[in-house]
Formats: sequence, structure tokens, C-alpha cells
Amino acid sequence: MKVLMRGNEAMAEAAIRAGCRTYFGYPITPQNEILEYMAAHLPAVGGACVQAESEVAAINMCYGAAAAGVRTLTSSSSPGISLKMEGISYLAGARLPVVIINVMRAGPGLGNIAPAQGDYFQATKGGGHGDYRLIVLAPSTVQEAAELVMLAFELADRYRVPAMILADGMLGQMMEPVELPPPIPPERIPPKPWALTGAKGRPPNVVSSFDLDPHRFREILRGLWDVYRQIQRDEVRWEEYQTEDAELVLVAYGTMGRICRTVVRRARREGLRVGLFRPITLWPFPSEPLRRLSARVPVFLTVELSAGQMWEDVRLSVDGRAQTPFYGELGGVVPTPEEILNEVKKYVRG
Amino acid sequence: MPPKGMVVIDKDRCKGCGVCVATCPFGVLALSPEFNRYGYNVAAMAAPEKCTGCTMCAQMCPDAAIEVYLYRPAKEAV
Repeated sequence: MKVLMRGNEAMAEAAIRAGCRTYFGYPITPQNEILEYMAAHLPAVGGACVQAESEVAAINMCYGAAAAGVRTLTSSSSPGISLKMEGISYLAGARLPVVIINVMRAGPGLGNIAPAQGDYFQATKGGGHGDYRLIVLAPSTVQEAAELVMLAFELADRYRVPAMILADGMLGQMMEPVELPPPIPPERIPPKPWALTGAKGRPPNVVSSFDLDPHRFREILRGLWDVYRQIQRDEVRWEEYQTEDAELVLVAYGTMGRICRTVVRRARREGLRVGLFRPITLWPFPSEPLRRLSARVPVFLTVELSAGQMWEDVRLSVDGRAQTPFYGELGGVVPTPEEILNEVKKYVRG
Repeated sequence: MPPKGMVVIDKDRCKGCGVCVATCPFGVLALSPEFNRYGYNVAAMAAPEKCTGCTMCAQMCPDAAIEVYLYRPAKEAV
């Protein structure tokens, strides 16, 4: 059954259906509905929703809940995610599978509450300190947002790596029909033998990101990077739309991904052979499929609501085999399909 | 001619998306400089005299934040 839901609410409901039983957050537009929804609905399923005193407190509450083996969620928008970054680095170091939703707004600084994609670097290249990565999933519809939240919990648990949903103010506020995935029964959530559940009758577990011995810590991090390489091998997700005969491929994710899909349809109506490559996992970035595509496509136009961040990963993947121009908007301004189509026409003719 | 309709916007449900502004056939609505509690510029009647009470804005509002009232001639006293 389809229901009409706001992106934020659909993500919150999907989290509950994924077995999330603790939520810790602090209000910030444009993601307040997640906290509101969790406050209204988590207690009914025996969960706990806490509006923390700050973002820093919220992320560290997540650390505690995740260490105890509970599926846990936090959410915020760009400036709030910056505040959580220290805690996120600690989650990565301690291998705690927390899911973090970032409903991006325009920055830097306090910026404004309009949709933007300026947190790509922060999400995919670190953001916090140290040698770590997050699994980063970028939905482009409310339906996909709900599905990727479910997937984020599954992947985070499977690899013991925190996962981030990188949405934006457009997706968070947009209302669309959504077919919610069925709830995961608690017995289907795999057990976590590493969790701090009381050491009665078994050796104690330790959850920590701390090791003073460089050689010992190196081995821990080598193990972590083995996991990251496994994720890069097995969990890359992307979508291609009309790329088979394309002379130009738009590369865009999230809200820009759906707008560029409209651009492809309009371009095709005018006889322009344009396709879309939409990364769904931003980390691991779909470098290999993009590299394969660059063997026959001469132009990759990256479109982002930023000054060009994913653009760097596109250029690294294409590696000089094709032209890689960029088109973007700043400050919360969302380009129209017409504006992007005009840019496309600089590179292809019908 | 006096206005036929009046648009009432629930400010705390409005996210300033502007769908009503784009939908109104008579240019009645605009985003106002006023902020709601989330920080959105809410929609408001910028040209109330043009409102016909057609309810297009209320039908299009994705958040059901709009109610439209029709002016009726006052009933004669009984």
C-alpha cells in the first residue's frame, strides 16, 4: 500500500521498520520531522527517543546505545553534522554501526535552510579526524530514501561501519507516495557477539577506538581497511539511465539526480543522445562502472548543488579518457532542467 | 469589485515551497519575509483583492496548510 509521506517522515518510519529502537537528536531545519516522528512513534514500539542537549551529546548517546548492541539512529542538517563529526570519528574507530542522516542545507557556516550538496567531501572523505570512511548512501526519491535507510542499518551492522544517508532539504521536505518496506522482525537482526551486554559467563568485550601502541593500532587499522576494501568490492551501487548510446552522460546524485533524469527525457525529445549516471553509494564511489563507461562516452557533465565536490571523484574515475566539465549552483539555489539542458547543448548537437 | 475569497495559511505547516504561489491563477499569493518556527518564509496573501476563492492553492498545497473561505453577502436580519 502506498502512502503519501514527507521524505523525513518516510526515513524515520523506515528506521523503525529496520529495527531501530533508539534515536538521539537535536532539532535543526530542514530535518526536524525526523525527531518529531521518532518522538511520536518510537515509544510505541518499546524504543527510546531523546532530544539531547546538543548535537555533541546526541552522537555520544548513539555511541553508548550502539555499543550495547541496539540499532540506533541520529539525524541532523549540515551545521549539526559538523558538530557530530568528532563523535562520528569515534564511532568509526570503535566500529559502531550507527546510522546518521544528513539532510543537507546550504553552507558554509550557518548558511541557510535551502537544499544543497556541499557536504559531499565531509561525508565521503572523512569529515572527522583519522583514517576512516563511512558508508554513504544518496537517495533521490522518497521511496529510495526509505529503502536506503533500511539498507544502511543492514550494511552498518554487517560491516560494523557507521553509515550515512546523504539527503538534502528538497528530499527531506518533499511529499511523495511511498511503499514502505515491511518491518524486519527482531529475530532476523543478526546477533552482535561483540556488544557490551554484560559479561556474565563470558569474557568481557571491549569497545574502544584507543590504542597507545602504534604497531598494535596499525594492525587494527589494517583490519579496518580490509573491511573498507571489501565494501568497495561488494557494495557499490549506482543507476544508469539511457547511457547505452549516449554522447553525453550527466553525473548527478540525490535531488540533482532526479532533476537530471528530467533533463535526459527533454534532451531525448530534442534528439540529443544524453544519459544519466547516478551514484547511489557515494562511498564506495562507483568508480569502476564510470571508468568502463568512459571507454565509449566522450563527455561526462557532473551536476551538483555545490561548487564541485563529487566532480573530483568523477575526474579520478574517468582519468582523462573523456571530457569532464562541471555545472553547479551555490547557496541553496536549485537549477531548473532548462538551465541544465542549455549547459548540455554546449557539448552535444542533435 | 470586493474580494470573493480569503486564504488562511497555517504558518507552522508551511515550508515555503512556493507551489501555491506558482499555482494561483491571479497572483494573489507570495512568499512573505516573515519566518515560521522552522525558519521558512511562509506564503501570504500579497494581493488579497484579487482572490476569487477558487481553492487552487489549497488543493495544490502538499502540506494541507491552506484553507480558503468564501465571502457571502450578509444575511438580512430576521
